[in-house]
Amino acid sequence: MKKDAIVVGAGVVGCAIARELTRYNLNVAVLEAGSDVAEGASKANSAIVHAGFDAKPGSNKAKFNVLGNRMFEDVCRELRVPFRRNGSLVLAFGADDEAALSDLKARGEANGVPTEIISQDELRRREPNVSPEATAALWAPTGGICCPYELTFRYAENAAANGAEFFFDAKVVKVERVDGEWRVSCADGRVFASRAVVNAAGIHSDEINNLVSDIRYSIRARRGEYLMLDRDEDGVFSATMFQCPSKMGKGILVSPTVDGTVIVGPTAEDIDDKEDKATTYDGLEKVKAGARRTYPGLPLGKVIAEFSGLRAHETTVGDFILGEAPDAPNFFNAVGVESPGLTSAPAIGVWMAETVAKTLGVSRKNPSLVSKDVSWWPKTREMKPAELAELVERDPSFGRVVCRCEEVTEGEIRAAIRARVGARTLDGIKRRTRSGMGRCQGGFCTPRLIEILGAELGLPPEAFLLSRKTAPKSLRKAVGGDRGVENGETLDVLVVGAGPAGLAAACAAKEAGAEEVLVVERDDAPGGILQQCIHNGFGLHRFKEELTGPEYAQRYVDMAENLGIPVVCGTMVLEIRPSEVQGEPISVTVMSPRGGLKTYRTRSVVLAMGCRERPRGALMTPGTRPAGVYTAGTVQRLVNMDGIMPGKRVVILGSGDIGLIMARRLTFSGAKVLACVEIMKKSSGLMRNVVQCLNDYDIPLLLSHTVTDVEGRDHVTGVKVSKVDDNLKPIPGTEVHYDCDTLVLSCGLIPENELTKKAGVEMDPKTRGPKVDAKMATSVPGIFAGGNVVRVYDLVDWVSRDSEIAGRSAAEYAKGVSK
Amino acid sequence: MKMICINCPKGCELDVEQAADGTVTVTGHTCPRGEAYGRSELVNPTRMVTGLVRVAGMRKPLPVKTRTAVPKGKIDAVLFAMHQATVQLPIRIGDVIIPNVAETGVDLVATANM
Repeated sequence: MKKDAIVVGAGVVGCAIARELTRYNLNVAVLEAGSDVAEGASKANSAIVHAGFDAKPGSNKAKFNVLGNRMFEDVCRELRVPFRRNGSLVLAFGADDEAALSDLKARGEANGVPTEIISQDELRRREPNVSPEATAALWAPTGGICCPYELTFRYAENAAANGAEFFFDAKVVKVERVDGEWRVSCADGRVFASRAVVNAAGIHSDEINNLVSDIRYSIRARRGEYLMLDRDEDGVFSATMFQCPSKMGKGILVSPTVDGTVIVGPTAEDIDDKEDKATTYDGLEKVKAGARRTYPGLPLGKVIAEFSGLRAHETTVGDFILGEAPDAPNFFNAVGVESPGLTSAPAIGVWMAETVAKTLGVSRKNPSLVSKDVSWWPKTREMKPAELAELVERDPSFGRVVCRCEEVTEGEIRAAIRARVGARTLDGIKRRTRSGMGRCQGGFCTPRLIEILGAELGLPPEAFLLSRKTAPKSLRKAVGGDRGVENGETLDVLVVGAGPAGLAAACAAKEAGAEEVLVVERDDAPGGILQQCIHNGFGLHRFKEELTGPEYAQRYVDMAENLGIPVVCGTMVLEIRPSEVQGEPISVTVMSPRGGLKTYRTRSVVLAMGCRERPRGALMTPGTRPAGVYTAGTVQRLVNMDGIMPGKRVVILGSGDIGLIMARRLTFSGAKVLACVEIMKKSSGLMRNVVQCLNDYDIPLLLSHTVTDVEGRDHVTGVKVSKVDDNLKPIPGTEVHYDCDTLVLSCGLIPENELTKKAGVEMDPKTRGPKVDAKMATSVPGIFAGGNVVRVYDLVDWVSRDSEIAGRSAAEYAKGVSK
Repeated sequence: MKMICINCPKGCELDVEQAADGTVTVTGHTCPRGEAYGRSELVNPTRMVTGLVRVAGMRKPLPVKTRTAVPKGKIDAVLFAMHQATVQLPIRIGDVIIPNVAETGVDLVATANM
């Protein structure tokens, strides 16, 4: 998967760079070692937008601080992130400090930052809770506060909406220059090729640089410990209250946050372990003592959390190191971005993207850029009652409060999981919604959160209790990104359906040399109908052993994963539009709850939608239309996947294989199967299934019989079964009544071909699938088909075999199609 | 004795006879698996049993199978044991759910990752 630019690190700097890069016509990917964005310093810092008066004039810190500060209104409006320009005050305690204030003011002037020294009286008038020991203060009206992880997440969402792809749990271990491009390898074996690499790896940015450049950097982790106070303290200070800075940093501050809490800290301590985010007794004591200097009334009973963060302090240069490494072409650094990194991030993003684009010679802008955040969801806590009432009426999940402390609703949590760069961990939900961030710190909501995570992501809830921040392994796949979408690159093969046919076709296409293969699946998981076929009898030919359906499906799911083929689930293909010009790509329009409507361009398509069951209507069974009449496949789904038994006394109409299999399954599950009724003179299912599903359990197979009446007003209470003559007409006087609560229909399968027909493919009236040649090519150039969508097969082994032919043919065809 | 082989969709009709000295002859099969099936079906008929096991805290059940075929007469006992069991996730394909299920000498194993 070749990229134009790979950003290493999904902190606020990396995500800002990625988002700004998507303004250009570039294929962007972000590799992050953690399971989420903002896992490093971006999740644990003072959340301050610094005015910029204290950075050394002329330094990168000063330049980007001031530029970044000015951008915050616009960026936060576009991305819908809360931001407040509350101003900041640096307190002086006595004459020495007052002299320092004058120095700061002078530096501010050099940096172009307006400040003003105010008297003790004025200070106390503005901030009545400040210590009487404070003798004067430096007022900087452009200081502000922001939510750093929300900003990071929204940058990432917007980047993903514009096509950037995010790979989590992707720890970069090797960066090499091969044939004029960069090859980036991850610890888990994933390898990415890219024209440019941007190093925004925060505390590990020195290590990434040192992999490629002889100009070495060294980052020391500088730990800062914090306390967070309950919302009760909201309003205790209006400005951010600093003390005079030292060479270790800006000292202990007390500041309101945009969420209504009060943040206190940080300490500054250089440590050796870049992962050690523990808080310490001594550290927290220092925070308390330092904070009491500013705020003597600091109520320790209001502390709801303590945490620490690590600043990426570069020890050789001591400034932000930004730009192309002199000895590594197209390798760009953002090294040593510590405070004021959050403030600088918007400006670093813009500058870096410009620099990368210019170096790569790309000036064309992304024609379909969306600058606004498109996946924003309402925060019910902040809504007016009338608005909220309306929202709840539309979507009741916004009326179910999950986190009572922060009043976060189920709707918000589900939206946070469904976002492009969605939450996949408890911490991910917490930072996107504040659920679990309030005074009980997740005591009440955690059980509900894991349940929702499990339901949304298709895993058992307890999988999310193993780690707060590391996502379960099965969720480690690329998120965001829209390869093949309008402005993106053209796919080689797009496969519709991730059942055994689609996955076999995709694997074969990839192995035959197709580079960009994508599988689109409407269900929430790959595997198709085999997931519910829990009986054995699959794979004797293909794998030379007897497997159950889920086992057979898993073999192909694993194969696709090992070949790096993305499978997009929960996505429905609405239309396949062949190009009007021969040799031009095909357009495929899809819809999903996450991505809305979008259109892929692809050189070839493999249809693998499978088949569906003939419904009751197709059989023209007389009688009432009560509940309790199901097709065999529906019963299979209910029993095997959903754990629901539809009834206790069952009659099966038709002797298709699924009906026979379900006769045995229902018997195993405690139901009484009274009879299997078949209108023809012999079973339509395989003899082996008659033997092992009916005969083994003494279930009568009534040949030349059919159901002539269905009884029951609300629910089935019984059926009448009659003998039929040679013309399949019921013979009067032969009816037998069965008391039953369930009628299962097993009358065969029909290829699922709505899409095929809409695409203008010629159909075969006999198979009810598309006409195909020996290469599984349909009548439309570039469209191939495999599996039950072509004709209904007896054996999945042959579905896989023929779909592999379709996949190979599609890969071959794609080679002859232009971009 | 006439029977239908259940190994594959072909469903060959077998004729299986046991002579007085105990030797079994199978005719009508078209592959070695068919012959073996005929022999076993006469002497000791066996079946794979597939089914579902409850998962703690979830409605969705776990699909399982006997790793190999078990004697037909033991199917009910296998099902009983299966229905008594409750498993905790996570589970991988091939994990043993009940060792030596119903004293058959065969393990009951998971057939899906959950």
